[in-house]
Amino acid sequence: MAHWMALEGGRNSPKHGAFRSRFVGIGVQFPEGRLTTDELMAATRYHTDIELEQLTGVRERHVVGAGEDSYTLALGAARDALSRAGCTGQDLDMLIVSSISRHVGGMRIQLEPPMSVQLKRALGADRARSFDLSNACAGMMTGVFLLNDLVRQGRIRRGMVVSGEYISELGRNAAQEVRDVMSDQLASLTLGDAGAAAIVERAPDGAVGIEVAGFTTLSGHSRLCVAFPATIGPGTTMHTQAREIHVAGIEESVPRLREVLDAAGLSMDDIDYLIPHQTSARAIEKGTKELSSRLGGTPKNVVITVDEMGNTASTTHFVALWKYLSEGRFRDEDRILLLSLASGLEVGIVIFTVGDLVQRHGQGGGGHGNGS
Amino acid sequence: MGTVVEASAIATPGGDPSIGALGLADAAARACIERAHRTPDDVQLLINVGVYLDRNMSEPAIAALIQEDIEANLEPSPGGGQGTFSFDVRDGACGLLTAIELIDGLLASGAIEVGMAVATDADPEPGLTEGFGFPALGGALMLSTDEARRGFTRFRSATFTAYADLFSSAIDWRVENGGGRNVLTVEIADDYPARVLECAEVTTRELAEADGLELGEVDALFATASTPGFGQALAQRLGIPPARAASLPTGLDRAHTAGLAAALESSSLAETGTALLVSAGAGITVATAVYRW
Repeated sequence: MAHWMALEGGRNSPKHGAFRSRFVGIGVQFPEGRLTTDELMAATRYHTDIELEQLTGVRERHVVGAGEDSYTLALGAARDALSRAGCTGQDLDMLIVSSISRHVGGMRIQLEPPMSVQLKRALGADRARSFDLSNACAGMMTGVFLLNDLVRQGRIRRGMVVSGEYISELGRNAAQEVRDVMSDQLASLTLGDAGAAAIVERAPDGAVGIEVAGFTTLSGHSRLCVAFPATIGPGTTMHTQAREIHVAGIEESVPRLREVLDAAGLSMDDIDYLIPHQTSARAIEKGTKELSSRLGGTPKNVVITVDEMGNTASTTHFVALWKYLSEGRFRDEDRILLLSLASGLEVGIVIFTVGDLVQRHGQGGGGHGNGS
Repeated sequence: MGTVVEASAIATPGGDPSIGALGLADAAARACIERAHRTPDDVQLLINVGVYLDRNMSEPAIAALIQEDIEANLEPSPGGGQGTFSFDVRDGACGLLTAIELIDGLLASGAIEVGMAVATDADPEPGLTEGFGFPALGGALMLSTDEARRGFTRFRSATFTAYADLFSSAIDWRVENGGGRNVLTVEIADDYPARVLECAEVTTRELAEADGLELGEVDALFATASTPGFGQALAQRLGIPPARAASLPTGLDRAHTAGLAAALESSSLAETGTALLVSAGAGITVATAVYRW
């Protein structure tokens, strides 16, 4: 059976993998600083009359301070994930860095060598095949998709995908240019900083893990969100046609979700927690309602962290996962659906059962994530 | 049965110096599709590995823009079928081999049946960048599974992090004339060519040993490291007759991420026997592969 999505796993997988993969460690690193939406909007260059918190639900976000950047966030998150997984860098066969932002040494945007080289050295991941990938806010999910493929085939036993997103600087730049609610830089004002890492490994026989993972790119919408180095100051500016990308995301994700759920023999009612990409609380609430209506089923819970974290780009799903694990909200048997909608337009879906991630994130199991 | 290269192609600016990295990638991808006697919709996975892109764009993945430009599965067709998944790999000059290894994995698992790796670099802001010495070049490789061929039989890579400072590039804000601008700077140390050669030899010998390959019996060596004469020099160190090392076309001897595609223009992989593919770049990272016809 042909799938529109590139698909791994599920009942109708083209070829069943020899092994099952599972998440074995989720790590985060938040910067020390915090910035409320009120503070950010008070700092805009122009008087805007934009009720950003009311529009998006974003109250505050973490922001990088002195000595912090994409690299330090990624490194902290990677160490946290290794600690949760009970392993070291030496145990990694693959290391993928998936940040959109590549600030190493403050505001410097590093192109070469890829950031994975520095992380490989810092983590002592001597055996790991390492590289960076770039897929907008779907970067970490793309890394999970690739690791799942390689683990299922037995090509690797364990790999890590990690992002360090220092993107609040886009908000600083947007604050200099946004004049009203129609600005194409409005979405930049919702961004927050975070590092996140996920370790995927071969699951023991009989253990739960990743059931299905799928991705596709609906590139007819590829130019709805673009980012470049800024012309007004250091860093980057992002230009988004927010309404168009939201509408396209809902339209395109319905058939893709149906395809992946069908492949797994599941319906939306079987999903205990839906973790969508965190752009805006209002957009998530509206989008979930629409998805449930069209798919004829409703996930039992919908995770929203954008209110207190902001949109942390490629890390959002794993920041949310880490937060709920750390707060003890999941049970071993809970089935999670991660839904990625990102510039491209990328649609990525991963369905997995939590399993012993609950124990790994229990009391006293902590690492370097410094919470929120 | 193995992963084979159906076709490769490159694109140069020719008479259009204004063509950017995306235009070169689009042209190389289209030429590759034509050479493979395929249509854009056949491409189920599209990985771009270019580093130096128009206006240093960081989002979305350039692969998504290429996919739109070549019109590969833009919208789901009512009758079903399979779409295209596109993303970028950033692994410097090793990107093409890294992408090939990832495509090989997804072909083997059956997640896709056809994949294309595209590489492209062009000076993002001619006249404003510093140290940018790579020729503008796009390249593309089409890969699929062939029941009758062995194709890629082994991959091996290594990173020599002690040499991470020898090849670097970054964008920094520079204050000037009361204002400022973001400036791309590429810095390659004088001893990079010597060190990259040493690293490539080490990793290639490890690959040969792991694969049971006698280096003297290699029929063709395709080796690039964004530095002139690398292929011939590596052949000499490995005991492979230099005549078997592919030469890059005139003007492309510093080709960056698309260098391997340019090397493949000079000598076909088809009916070659046993070929070695070697790429090396910033890190210093070396990526290698054995390809058997």
